[in-house]
Amino acid sequence: MKIYISGLYSGTNPQPGIGIARSLRAAYPDATLVGVEYSNRCSGIHWADLDEMWLQRPWEELNLEVYAADIKEALDAGALWISGVDLEIMWLASVFPEGHKNLLTPSTAALKKISKPAVEAHKGLPVSIPPFVTTERSDWELHAFCRQHGWKVWLKGPYYEAVRTHGWDVFDRVRTLLSRAWSTERLFLQTHVTGYEESVCFSAYQGELIDSVYMRKRELTEEGKTWAGDVTEVPEEFTTPLRRIIKELNWTGGAELEMVRDMGGQLWLLECNPRFPAWIYGSTLAGHNLPALLVERATGVPARREVNVCEEFTRVVLEIPVRSQFPLPSLPEPYPGGIGHSMKHPSGTLALAERLHKLHVMESDGNGNGNGNGNGNGHHGRTNIAEAPVVPSSFIDDLKAYNFAEMETPSWLFLESTASELFKRAAGLASKLSTSTLTVTNAYSLKTNPDERLLRIARESGFLAEAISLLEVQKALQTGFRPDQVILNGPGKWWPEGLLPTSPIHAVFCDSIADLKRVVASMERKELQAKIVGVRLRTPTVGSRFGIPVDTPEALKKLVDAIELLPRECAFGVHFHMASSNIGVGQWWHLYESVLRWCRSIETLARRQIECLDVGGGWFPDDWQSDSGDQFAAAIARARNFLPFVKQIISEPGKAMAQPSMAVAMRLLEFEESSEEEVTEAVVDGSIAELPMHFFQPHRILRQDKQTGEWQTLKHGKTHLWGRLCMEHDVVASNVELPEGVRPGDVLVFCDAGAYDRSMSYVFGRG
Amino acid sequence: MSLAEGKIEFDETDFADTRAAMQKWEHFPASTISHHGGQCCQIAREWVLSTDYSQLNAGNPLTGPRWIRQKYTWGASTWPIYWCEAVEQKKLDCGALAALTQEVFAARGVRSYHAQFIQQYSEAATRQWSNSWNCDEACVHWIKEDLIYHEGCAVAVRDNEIRLWDPSAGWWVNPRQFGGYGGLLAVRVFAPQFNAPTGFLWGTQRISPNQWQKIERVRGDFAVAAAK
Ligand SMILES: [Zn+2]
Repeated sequence: MKIYISGLYSGTNPQPGIGIARSLRAAYPDATLVGVEYSNRCSGIHWADLDEMWLQRPWEELNLEVYAADIKEALDAGALWISGVDLEIMWLASVFPEGHKNLLTPSTAALKKISKPAVEAHKGLPVSIPPFVTTERSDWELHAFCRQHGWKVWLKGPYYEAVRTHGWDVFDRVRTLLSRAWSTERLFLQTHVTGYEESVCFSAYQGELIDSVYMRKRELTEEGKTWAGDVTEVPEEFTTPLRRIIKELNWTGGAELEMVRDMGGQLWLLECNPRFPAWIYGSTLAGHNLPALLVERATGVPARREVNVCEEFTRVVLEIPVRSQFPLPSLPEPYPGGIGHSMKHPSGTLALAERLHKLHVMESDGNGNGNGNGNGNGHHGRTNIAEAPVVPSSFIDDLKAYNFAEMETPSWLFLESTASELFKRAAGLASKLSTSTLTVTNAYSLKTNPDERLLRIARESGFLAEAISLLEVQKALQTGFRPDQVILNGPGKWWPEGLLPTSPIHAVFCDSIADLKRVVASMERKELQAKIVGVRLRTPTVGSRFGIPVDTPEALKKLVDAIELLPRECAFGVHFHMASSNIGVGQWWHLYESVLRWCRSIETLARRQIECLDVGGGWFPDDWQSDSGDQFAAAIARARNFLPFVKQIISEPGKAMAQPSMAVAMRLLEFEESSEEEVTEAVVDGSIAELPMHFFQPHRILRQDKQTGEWQTLKHGKTHLWGRLCMEHDVVASNVELPEGVRPGDVLVFCDAGAYDRSMSYVFGRG
Repeated sequence: MSLAEGKIEFDETDFADTRAAMQKWEHFPASTISHHGGQCCQIAREWVLSTDYSQLNAGNPLTGPRWIRQKYTWGASTWPIYWCEAVEQKKLDCGALAALTQEVFAARGVRSYHAQFIQQYSEAATRQWSNSWNCDEACVHWIKEDLIYHEGCAVAVRDNEIRLWDPSAGWWVNPRQFGGYGGLLAVRVFAPQFNAPTGFLWGTQRISPNQWQKIERVRGDFAVAAAK
């Protein structure tokens, strides 16, 4: 009996070849085991259980036709083939579309049904698929996905590789790298599931389940790979649907379902690999020699059974002698000034991926997004389904007020009806949520964008003005706010001296115990008068420098003692602020609940009724608007539950109001056109000085069609828009598609720039 | 292919004297934190419970509160211990850690019961512990040769199904026990409440409440039936 085994890489992220060889050797002491590898750098080629070594040239230079013929000859001669390389399995499925009785791998049709991330074939198994989205969606939607999942997301390659992207800039960078590496734009973002990693591994032949095991990782490498595990039987509720699925897929070969069990016990399927896992010898140690059972079923030759078995296994590191016929290759020279030896995966997996793309092997479908309705052609390079983001129609209406032909650029555009509508909606919501005993009031944070037009609309919409400095207080008063409509907040609120209003302000929130003592002293001297005096809370686990911490019992006691100093004639309030767009929507709501608990503790301990709760948001406009009001209503009810004395809840929708209210117009300065290729670089007269938030969020970009006059958003593409500044990182958009007919001098309107883009924009490079 | 679990309970081949240990610790009560009745303990308690909610980080309420062990290293405590004293310590023993954890689960609305463990280690390990406890002038009544008395929580995940949380280790105890170093030999789950279940299910084992119970051991041969 001759068995070819491929995938012998044996580093920290090993392939299963060695485990398969050890398992087969245990069951078939006399079989001839032939190792197949594509690089003499893979240490597994020296493993002694392998009788022969069939070393191929790396995938990037391998003549696939010749190689396919060689494999066919071997299989025809009666040898078996067990592959440990996903991409090789895909290729073999395309080489043998009708299969081969000695090729112990699944068909293309079966592989398609298990392709990531949707794993269509999972239906019926007691598992869920973590939410995901294809990166072919617009940046706007991808950013929304990340916020929705608290930035606990992974950007994953089509076959291997997953990189945690905890921010927009990281995502953008990693997307470029992975797209280049895997020669495709078809990556996907998937949510992280916190829990324990578990697997089901099985062996099947021509649609029949032979045996399966359950493995829990008990030690992990830094890369999250198995280092130790326990192997037990697969529960019946799993094997019953699994048996049916294997039949439907007519599966042949090994496979592993990689899952995470969350704290509630729910299983989440991350992927289904079409081969035995690298820990497969651990299963053999537990008495389930899945590779041998596969060979036994395929050949009818009985496999030898293990007598002494152990359900827990672990790994060690071994030094073994190098085969004399395969001496170690030289180590590549480090690049000048480089760190390390910059070695690619030795067998050239990425090169194989690129070749398979060109051959159109594995053109998958049904992996578009979380509900699996995507489509596409999966071709090498660009796909044409990238969707253009949608903008509210009010943006387009507001742009009609501008004459772009004569406009000097870059230029800020105020979108008046958009702004009015947003403030109106917020005002409506506040009044809807208010009752006879509890008032819900909006506050506009001046720092978000101190544009007088926005301040006027805010004031007319019943907003209070939240200021972080006395200069901001002055600005609020100058634009018509009364002192009793002002909230003072932040660590530097007394700056600059001498500008404090003489009549009472609405509220002041202390940022530290020292600040609180200062407030008490000012009030005693009658310099400061406020209806509400309160504290800003910094709850544990929130990475913030603001507010009074309660991270130790001593800190909590200090706060409680200090609250007792506050004048009794003022109402007491608590403020907290955390940008939901940074920590994610779900996380923000948990923080809200957490703050309510701290407030209740403080109310009990300080014996001081909390009458005002000031809730800072940092809401991304879409997240704030997507709520019908039900969640806010529920939040108000929760607050009443925890804090029965609360009379006013102040909400600061912040950038949810300001961000959509302004845009920046820029002109294309120049780009090099080519009839063949898409433009990759274009220079505009705007810059990150006008769009400093570029690193944190995408901006939807509009361009007016010269013929139709219609405004259209730019799609995802290959062009980088470079700003006018002589700064390396001045890139105002990466990966957009310039529409046909676009010319230097054309105007691009960057939307969603009305919040910190505007207020933190700076003067640079203007002489 | 059918697989059957080959569970074999070692009794006589088991050299650890579990029975004597169960007798030794028969009258050990599960630890609780005392309250002075004043603001000192009130602040401490509020702090622990509110901190726990913050630390939960939007996770499942069944998540073990590892933050407690992260804040307090394991070591000798003096008893009785009050809330205001407990939170100020650098070190807490397994009883104090379990008692705090018990309170935290209860505040989350999770059903949790005091649990006591008898674990096997080695003479080398227990000698070390005896030494360090003696240095802290603490009593080492929790050590008997190579066996130790330990405390944790039995957390109900659904109906009468429980998981055993070891707050000193910060992990769930594996319901498949093989004996050996760190192995769990016996458990006692306190469920004195009139409406408490009359029996718990831990993995595949039935646990009767309010009494020491030897843990069934698993041998790694669930595959024996498959191999036949
Ligand atoms: Zn006390």
